[in-house]
Amino acid sequence: MTLLDATQQAFARLFAGDAELWRIVWISLKVSVSALLLATPFAVALGFWVASNRFPGRRLVIVLLQGLLSFPTVVVGLILYLLFSRSGPLGPWHLLFTQDAMIIGQAIIAFPVLSAFTLAAIHGADPRLRETAVSLGAGKLRSALTSLHEVRFAVIAGVLNGFGRVISEVGCSMMVGGNIAGFTRNIPTAIALETSKGDFAQGIALGVVLMVFALVVTALLAVVQTESVPR
Amino acid sequence: MSALVSIAEAAKSHAGKILLDVGALTLAAGDLIVLTGDNGSGKTTFLKMLAGLEEPDRLRLRFDGLEATQHGYPRELRRLIVYVHQHPYLFNTSIAENIRYGLRLRNLPEEVCARRTAEAIAWAGVGHLLGVEPRKLSGGEKQRVALARVKALEPRVLLVDEPTANLDAPARAQVIDLLRKTATGENCVIVACHDRELVELEGARRWHLVDGKIEA
Repeated sequence: MTLLDATQQAFARLFAGDAELWRIVWISLKVSVSALLLATPFAVALGFWVASNRFPGRRLVIVLLQGLLSFPTVVVGLILYLLFSRSGPLGPWHLLFTQDAMIIGQAIIAFPVLSAFTLAAIHGADPRLRETAVSLGAGKLRSALTSLHEVRFAVIAGVLNGFGRVISEVGCSMMVGGNIAGFTRNIPTAIALETSKGDFAQGIALGVVLMVFALVVTALLAVVQTESVPR
Repeated sequence: MSALVSIAEAAKSHAGKILLDVGALTLAAGDLIVLTGDNGSGKTTFLKMLAGLEEPDRLRLRFDGLEATQHGYPRELRRLIVYVHQHPYLFNTSIAENIRYGLRLRNLPEEVCARRTAEAIAWAGVGHLLGVEPRKLSGGEKQRVALARVKALEPRVLLVDEPTANLDAPARAQVIDLLRKTATGENCVIVACHDRELVELEGARRWHLVDGKIEA
């Protein structure tokens, strides 16, 4: 099969509404969006807290968060595999080879991205922002929420970056999800499998979907970054 | 005239240098106080300390049965003493929402928020700016919106930091007029400034900061 034939077949499958293909896309979206929903509140809260407070070891926490940005996803998968495997400490939870395990893994991968973006945004925010909120009567929680609202575009940029990282990661999903058809097979693990089987049409079709996601995220990022230009 | 605010002491130092060492001052209702001093003399530090925005080394301030010290600044006091920056920060939302911000924090009924917002807008003469994004306002317009924002809260003590710096003559006149209107009845205003027109304002008391100490 030539590359052209495979590409034609790929588009034919996409437009024909191939059930297996769209199920893989659905699993990918479900897992990645769930992971972001799980990670975002905690990651944003941590980023805000680290940016707003002075405490011993703060610099170390910042370096650690920044270092985790490039932490290999396959290592996250390995650690979770050891924790979730039958003989591991979390074995009794029976999470290995489930979507929940993939969600936990992707949440861990997205966490430092979200925290680092929030930290940088709050760190770079105008100091008058918090003072103004406090002076107008805001307590600690309300002034924190006001600050986050003011830097919302930077936080959204962090969420979009996190989505870009988790939707395309293969290492962790493969290890803790197990690439089970119709259950834990997402776009990246399916592409790896179909390519190894020689079914390039399916791989290309899924690759096209992934690229569309990437383009949409990039376009949204561009819009968000325009909105977040300092005023 | 009875004291509205009594300041027993307010002090702060940094790296061995005394930034502020103020003692025994009183503010009466209706006072308009013009606080002068060279750059770096501690005017902003003093105002922020009175508003609970600057950590003091020592502070004893009494107002309406409430006491602020270096150990704590009561939240109720924050609602009575409000500070406005030299270059005010306006939230990235509409101008009406900026003015309504503090009112919402006070859990006032919606109709009260709406009425006081409308009154503040009319008072500051910023009705024609309502459709404009805050970032597109001039310095004078921002200052007037910031004053409307605090006016809506009806604070008892208003602390304003160099409100006329970098404003042209018409904007300066408008801001000075707004400050004059605020320092009435039960309220008082402290204005830190270099502006000659403000310094020589009729009826104003003058405090001068030199090396962190106030010459009243």
